[in-house]
Amino acid sequence: MNAVQPGTGAAGRPLAVLAAALLLAFARLPLAEAAEDAQWLARAAVAAADNRGAPFAVVDKRNARVFVFDAGGRLQGSSPVLLGLAHGDDSVPGIGERAMAEIRPEERTTPAGRFDTEPGFNTKGEDIVWIDYDAAVSMHRVRATVKSERRLERLASPTVADNRISYGCINVPAAFYDAYIRPVLGSRRGVVYVLPETTAAHKRFEFLNRAG
Amino acid sequence: MNSTSRLIAALALGAAGAAFAQGNPPTTTPPNPATAAGQQNPAGGPMGTTGVTPESGGTTRSTAPTAQGSTDTSSSSSTTMAASGDTPAMRRARADRN
Repeated sequence: MNAVQPGTGAAGRPLAVLAAALLLAFARLPLAEAAEDAQWLARAAVAAADNRGAPFAVVDKRNARVFVFDAGGRLQGSSPVLLGLAHGDDSVPGIGERAMAEIRPEERTTPAGRFDTEPGFNTKGEDIVWIDYDAAVSMHRVRATVKSERRLERLASPTVADNRISYGCINVPAAFYDAYIRPVLGSRRGVVYVLPETTAAHKRFEFLNRAG
Repeated sequence: MNSTSRLIAALALGAAGAAFAQGNPPTTTPPNPATAAGQQNPAGGPMGTTGVTPESGGTTRSTAPTAQGSTDTSSSSSTTMAASGDTPAMRRARADRN
């Protein structure tokens, strides 16, 4: 199944232009500064065999980007992403059991750390990648269902601050999802590392302490 | 209507019928013989199985499992089928945090 997000199929010219801009955005090599932390973590993960010899992804929350690596830690592609509205590296306990309307703005965090991912579906039948099933955090194609949230525009903009809009999920441009995320994480268990933004990385990634 | 007109009308009708028939060839090798024979799994899965089938062989599901509600609170251990290797049994569909 290759789910097409609402709003992209009958998008018309403005959204088509946005889609083209997004393609260009992730086709470009990421800025060295943005990729530095992700590549550093990727090298450490591979050196510690923490990725279990499989491709993986690193999400850099500070720069609102996802980086996809092959099993050897070589960068395959990167893209801007949308993240949780609130800054913070932990999910509120029990948040996965609450209705969206009951989640306060300050609770809309994207948790950081090492996550064993698994492919799955949401209740709309859309194929997604579960980052944290119990907390209901997934990586999925960006959804433009709520026009006022301007998610596509936020992804296309060069700024990072406006990429904070979700309830905790990691929103990826649909084309990037299909080209990079789905092949790596969409049919098997995988690993996604989400870099923290409020704490040091070694507090979130145990293998960094083992590396000596 | 004279005989010539009747003949033309009959030929036109016949040609239209032939064109319609040739546009809808019969399926001689249905992908699922049981379904082609009119049998269907009430759960929506392939015939010969019941409930949710675990993933196998690295293949990706082509259809979504039945939704179980937007705020499924079941624990992971109770919602996961037996898995093998890196190809997991898919957990029950649930709402994500968008």
